[in-house]
Amino acid sequence: MQIVVLTKPVPDPAAAAERLGLDGRLDRAASPAVVNGNDEYALEAALKIVDALGGEVTLLTMAASGAADTMRKALAMGATRGILVSDEALAGSCIRSTTQVLAAALGGLTFDLVLAGVDTSDGVAGVVPAGIAALLRIPYLGNAARIEPDPASGRVRVRRITPTGYDLLDAPMPALVVCTQVLGEPRYPSLKGIMGARSKEIATRSLADLGLDPSTVGGAVASTAVLDSRRPPARGATRVVRGTPDEGAAEIVALLEARRII
Amino acid sequence: MGAIWVIAETNADGSLARSAAEAATLARSLAAASGREARGLVVSVDPGRAGGELAAYLGRVVTVTEPGAADHAWAVIAAERAAGLLGDDPSAIVLLSASPDGRDLAGTLSALTPLGVLANATAVTWDGRVAVEMSTFGGKLTTTSGFTGDGGIITLRPNAVTAEPAAARGVVEAAAAGAAPALPRVTIAERVAEASAALPIEEARVIVSGGRGVGGPEGFDLVGELAALLGGAVGASRAAVDAGWIPYARQIGQTGKIVKPQLYLALGISGAIQHKVGMQTAETIIAVNRDPDAPIAAFADLLVVGDLFEVVPAVVRALQERPG
Amino acid sequence: MSTGTATDRLTEEQRLLQATLRELADAKIAPRAAEIDRTSEFPDDIRRLLAEHDVLALPFPVEHGGVGGDLLTVCLAIEQIARACATSSLILIVQALGALPLLLGGSPEQKARWFPRLASGEILAAFALTEPEAGSDASAIRTRAVRDGDDYVITGTKRFITHGSVAGLVSVFAVTDPEAPRHRRLSCFAVEVPAEGFRVARLEHKLGIRGSPTAELEFTGVRVPAANRIGAEGDGFALAMGTFDRSRPGVAAQAVGIAQGALEAATAYAKERKQFGQRIGDFQMVAAMLADMDAGTEAARQLLYTACERIEAGVPDAARWSAMCKLVAGDTAMRVTTDAVQVLGGYGYINEFPVERMMRDAKITQIYEGTQQVQRLVIARALLGRASD
Repeated sequence: MQIVVLTKPVPDPAAAAERLGLDGRLDRAASPAVVNGNDEYALEAALKIVDALGGEVTLLTMAASGAADTMRKALAMGATRGILVSDEALAGSCIRSTTQVLAAALGGLTFDLVLAGVDTSDGVAGVVPAGIAALLRIPYLGNAARIEPDPASGRVRVRRITPTGYDLLDAPMPALVVCTQVLGEPRYPSLKGIMGARSKEIATRSLADLGLDPSTVGGAVASTAVLDSRRPPARGATRVVRGTPDEGAAEIVALLEARRII
Repeated sequence: MGAIWVIAETNADGSLARSAAEAATLARSLAAASGREARGLVVSVDPGRAGGELAAYLGRVVTVTEPGAADHAWAVIAAERAAGLLGDDPSAIVLLSASPDGRDLAGTLSALTPLGVLANATAVTWDGRVAVEMSTFGGKLTTTSGFTGDGGIITLRPNAVTAEPAAARGVVEAAAAGAAPALPRVTIAERVAEASAALPIEEARVIVSGGRGVGGPEGFDLVGELAALLGGAVGASRAAVDAGWIPYARQIGQTGKIVKPQLYLALGISGAIQHKVGMQTAETIIAVNRDPDAPIAAFADLLVVGDLFEVVPAVVRALQERPG
Repeated sequence: MSTGTATDRLTEEQRLLQATLRELADAKIAPRAAEIDRTSEFPDDIRRLLAEHDVLALPFPVEHGGVGGDLLTVCLAIEQIARACATSSLILIVQALGALPLLLGGSPEQKARWFPRLASGEILAAFALTEPEAGSDASAIRTRAVRDGDDYVITGTKRFITHGSVAGLVSVFAVTDPEAPRHRRLSCFAVEVPAEGFRVARLEHKLGIRGSPTAELEFTGVRVPAANRIGAEGDGFALAMGTFDRSRPGVAAQAVGIAQGALEAATAYAKERKQFGQRIGDFQMVAAMLADMDAGTEAARQLLYTACERIEAGVPDAARWSAMCKLVAGDTAMRVTTDAVQVLGGYGYINEFPVERMMRDAKITQIYEGTQQVQRLVIARALLGRASD
């Protein structure tokens, strides 16, 4: 099985150091970066599949050149290699550009599955994987709680979570599958994996390498722009109530009435 | 200029999803402000009912009968049909729900048209162009964004708009399906229901969530009782889901759902960062926790310190005893 | 606040290892620490956890299934684990310590025989030098190893042997030539246990590191093949000294980790606890204590990292570096943990909070692997040279 996992470096949510730059876009240099949490579920799913069926996992990232560092942990977890698409023109890319660039990068690869996280902790849009599948004309299977590829038949079965339960999806490979947390906790990188990560390849690709015209993708032709940003209004101080359960209940009901919720 | 389109989701019974009514209400107000036309699109196996319901909100509704939607994943199908109608018009504005289907549709549609995407809108206004308000960085920042062109796709958070029917009913017209599909359609081999049809949690105005403090699946009966009394949905923290007490579909937080209800009631939830980013923009946050120093104390409006198994029944009693 | 990373001198791999073990320790080890201390039970689940994550493979060469970590890398791992639980960090410390005679003086055949199982964590190692009458004075060792054909027969008693009751391989130091000069009397043997004549005579009840079994080992005519002798006859003393050069930094790392854990606990408390209308961290006397704790811990850490680099580079005064980092770190840990208890006040004295355990755990770092007084002697000798006889 050849699996490509889309990974995005994002500001470490635990560091809480995100801020916008002068252009209104995220100032990525200002905050320590980690691999997007949801992408780690996709990576773990990929590693489980190759553990069981054999094969290789390739990471694909579109980011500034320093992103090779964040990819190391994913390599240490067991990915075979990484591909980093990096180009100055891509700074400030919108969702549409990102989708086009990643699709172009995938176009040059052979794979059975592309796995992606549900969304990223910085943008939280969750739309890029569907766009990539459409551009590549491959089946798109979302919200997976279980992924069962069958190399013999060349098809993949996916359990997709719905509000009421799940759907059993079936499609031929190559296919793109969006992975949820239910697939299983990402493994800690083994120490052997950590020590071996340095010898794993991270290939870089520029827009020219992908055959993309910088006048058609990237920050200069972004389809969206930030007009304004501000902190949300501060929440009032917390009212802490101790006392009997009935007293606490009375406080809750009073607040619900005051806020016209009941 | 291109129209303002709403691509409607439908419920399993063929009725119009509430998210579509909300989006349609917004489309109307944007249309009035911009001078553009607001239109609805329903793509499904049998779009008649939803089309008729959507006409209560929009002047013009287009329906596409798509038998493939019976047992194939809907979002890609609907996106392709919508792209067929929108063509290459870069000035169209498309409103979608920020639901899982809506996101899938948004991504696919963006790939098939010249339109960019702004996601998770909490408000959309018009001042010569669309201005889309979004909450970013786990609620720490509110940004207003726009499209650099004249059109684009916007995914809208549930409850961002209150649905309001139009003064007059619109017309419904059936459109031909269009060209043969180019995008692969994914077969739904089986649909499995695990719980009774529940409101998707992102749409709930009231969410009562249980965490580690609930102690077990039986404890969620109490959570559910309070949720039902308040007309809300049951949510959960990661701890409760990992413990197997409640399905993942109910999980609120960084790796679950991000919600913005009117009321978020957190029972036995510590409020650590992974959960906080999922709910901290709720209008009213009430927590019940034994630990007065739990992280949630820093951002709740009200923290009742106590045992939720005593406080919640007291709340239930107090609510039931209220007049009216 | 210091996260104890000092990242600029570390390689990428070391930083990733540090971050991974920090997460692992927080998630899987810290929740067990209080229970381990309370029950005084050896945490075999933590041993398995460390083995599964290749942590016990760190000190061993890659060709025998190890990770080939250098001294600094091993110490980084110890530090992160000790932050959460001093007892758990001993599992790695003693795995390295017990195997060091083999690492330093073992034949290729001996390494191939034992390293794979040590690296995988299948068997634990222990280091048996100390005796009831031979603590700081190693020359007072009485345990005898008498050559008998192709074997040696070992008789004697070892005391205060960490992991002596759970190890599968014990490096035993015994007198092979009582007539030889002091530093040629001892030889070192790799003894596979259990064995005929080997007995765990007692387990100590200790002030701290309570989950770590500290055993008295009795050897009554234990037969060991001559092929298990590490190095030549008489090499024991040199092997022990060489071992200490590399094992003392491990204890220093444990001490730095304990101090860091205590610092973090005290700082978190000082931010939350309010008295007289403000958080206690804003009172200058408390703030000063925390500042001194932070500076002290960082200084001990930097000295440790430097010592590791120097020792790994093979400097001639490795013993001095090793003694200095252990001396400073041990005293720092005792001071920082005692102050941490003080910051928490009454709450620091009860076992609902971890700092009293950390204080009890810290004390041993001033005692084992050579007492602080012995460390001072080593450093002084490096400065002054030997007393002229």
